[in-house]
Amino acid sequence: MSLGSGVDALAAWLSGTPASWWGILIAILLLWVAPLLLVVFPVAAVGQIIERKVAAAMQRRYGPNTVGFDGPLRFAFRIAFFFLPRAKQDRLFSGFCGLPVIRTVLRVATRLGLGQLAADGVKMLGKEDLVPAGADGAVFRIAPYLALLGAFLPFCAVPFAQHLVMLEVPVGALYAISVSGITVMALLMAGWGSGNKFSLLGGMRAVAQVVSYEIPVGLAIAGVVLWTGSLDLSTIVGQQYRPGVLTFTGWNLLQSPFLALLAGVFFLAGLAECQRTPFDMAEAESELVSGFNTEYSGLRWGMFAMAEYTEMILVGALFSTLFLGGYQSPIGEEWIVQLPVFLESLVHLTIFALKFVSTLVLMVWIRWTLPRFRVDQVMRLCWLTLVPLCLVGLFGIAVTMVLAGGTTAGDAYGRLAARERLDLGIVGHLVAWLVPLALGAALVVAARKKHGQMHPALRQLSGGQA
Amino acid sequence: MILGWVNDIWEGVTSFVTGMRTTARFFTENVRGQGGGAAVTRQYPQQPAQVVGERVRGHLFNEAKICIVCHACDKVCPVDCFSMEGERDENNKIRASRFDIDLSKCIYCGLCVRACPTDSLSMTTAFELDPHREDVGRYLFTRNASQLEQRLDAPTVERLTALANRPREELTTEERAFVDAHLDTQGRHLIGMYGLGYYTPEQKAAADAEREAKKKAKDAAAAAAKAKAAAATPPPAAAPAPAPKVEPKPAAGPEAPAS
Repeated sequence: MSLGSGVDALAAWLSGTPASWWGILIAILLLWVAPLLLVVFPVAAVGQIIERKVAAAMQRRYGPNTVGFDGPLRFAFRIAFFFLPRAKQDRLFSGFCGLPVIRTVLRVATRLGLGQLAADGVKMLGKEDLVPAGADGAVFRIAPYLALLGAFLPFCAVPFAQHLVMLEVPVGALYAISVSGITVMALLMAGWGSGNKFSLLGGMRAVAQVVSYEIPVGLAIAGVVLWTGSLDLSTIVGQQYRPGVLTFTGWNLLQSPFLALLAGVFFLAGLAECQRTPFDMAEAESELVSGFNTEYSGLRWGMFAMAEYTEMILVGALFSTLFLGGYQSPIGEEWIVQLPVFLESLVHLTIFALKFVSTLVLMVWIRWTLPRFRVDQVMRLCWLTLVPLCLVGLFGIAVTMVLAGGTTAGDAYGRLAARERLDLGIVGHLVAWLVPLALGAALVVAARKKHGQMHPALRQLSGGQA
Repeated sequence: MILGWVNDIWEGVTSFVTGMRTTARFFTENVRGQGGGAAVTRQYPQQPAQVVGERVRGHLFNEAKICIVCHACDKVCPVDCFSMEGERDENNKIRASRFDIDLSKCIYCGLCVRACPTDSLSMTTAFELDPHREDVGRYLFTRNASQLEQRLDAPTVERLTALANRPREELTTEERAFVDAHLDTQGRHLIGMYGLGYYTPEQKAAADAEREAKKKAKDAAAAAAKAKAAAATPPPAAAPAPAPKVEPKPAAGPEAPAS
């Protein structure tokens, strides 16, 4: 019986070899539930507060730092010590809050805005679930669930650790980007079902944008697939492994400037895929009130917010998997692999979480730096800049591989049965980096010489004279 | 064409990097606590608030010593937030023995200040209405509707101020009952007390006695003068005639500016 390496290994560790049925059952449950429950849910929930705090810091504010836990804690004490008189409950409560450790923890949590997070959550739960009079009820109600589905399903293929993969899909990369397309449907349904022209406009914009940006995302992934010769995300991660201390030298990001270029394009297009500023055409507060989610309230709106942050995490996770060596530690990997399965998974999970949380912070950073594009600018950026850049990257990778003598002979699923790793060596690496960089620099210098320092708008105003 | 395209990308990337650098600088400033939020934002409840300007209409203050209890402010007030009482002092002048301003009603319009004939009412720059603060909340109390008409004398206010700033657990039963009789923490009326009961009961008795004594002395002097005048020149009887008209003036005097 084989259900993929993760299930087998975990089941064996749980129940001794050979794996018994209950070991397999627990292993499957753990594999499916643990990554979502341990990492994705908390980060998606905390994403809101990360965003607010980072945004505040960038705008010279403090962000939420006042809402504390006094009320809920007092309430909890009232419930827990219901048999004591009220004064005694209060004394117990103040004694508990006076403990140095508790006081420090509470103060730090308050300053970090966690109280605000909890209060917002409770507020959202308590709100009325409104459906507008002119809305298409069923469509309107289903849309948030689909949005969450589209955000969570791709995680099935993402390897959170060596043995922590929910589904060993041989075409994991393809699966991830195609399943995440469900979100488009959800946005369109939300826009259509609301019975509101602005929402519909938001939904239409979302579809146009996401469908367009799936091309650069796909092309960027194609570059990685070309380089690694596999669509399996686990294989892609494993292929980025390098023995020794400097494990990060194996990262796809550092293999070739063309891969770095594709990484940048993937990140930008991913940003557009999850409808984040500067690409948030679907929401566009200043134009469409709040776009597709204008009419939503309470928990359904919360699902959209959750889906947004989950998608950000997904882009971060895919980015880490494809370009940043996935769950592997950047420095020294051997000692982690030698740990027992459970500990090893935990360490890998933590490293992976750190990687995608830092990409999440980068997204937040971009959001609070750049203003929103116009619709036509978004489309122009996609079709006239990102897609050609992707083609340049793909072509460059192909040329590098041909010159380095690599082959990509895989089996029917794209998984390589036995393939020698394309290792360029130090000299090869230097050449692969310096030659394209020199070419690019020459191009940029020529472009600057021809078109000068002037801003395009000014150039247009001055009649094309530099 | 390709060079133009490359140039566009180059400009896009460089301006992007410039923007990201700017926000990153703000971010690090904020995290280190230099510049950033600390330079701009005042953490109000923890740090003292900034007074916005001299002409701010903060909460009202009545200089009880020069108030003549003319009710001008009371009449002009659109929300009826004043309640006042007056008593005669030893010089037979009306003085405020109670001057309560219901700050939970006050809309800070400033009409009363304009109406005040003696300039005893003024608007301060203070705007914090926390009864528990030593400096601003000295004579601010929350009371419920049934307690509104209760009069507080100066010693009562002093004692209440002292007790209200102490934790309730430390109070004796008698003190607690005293506080509860006069104040209600759940009350919806925030009262600023500026009249303070001009007299303690002893002072009041002393003032009354003094006033009576003065009046007696004055009456005696007047009677003596009258007798003397009557003895000297009986015919001009018209001279004391205006006296009854003049006499009620001290009593009606304080009311007069209001009309």
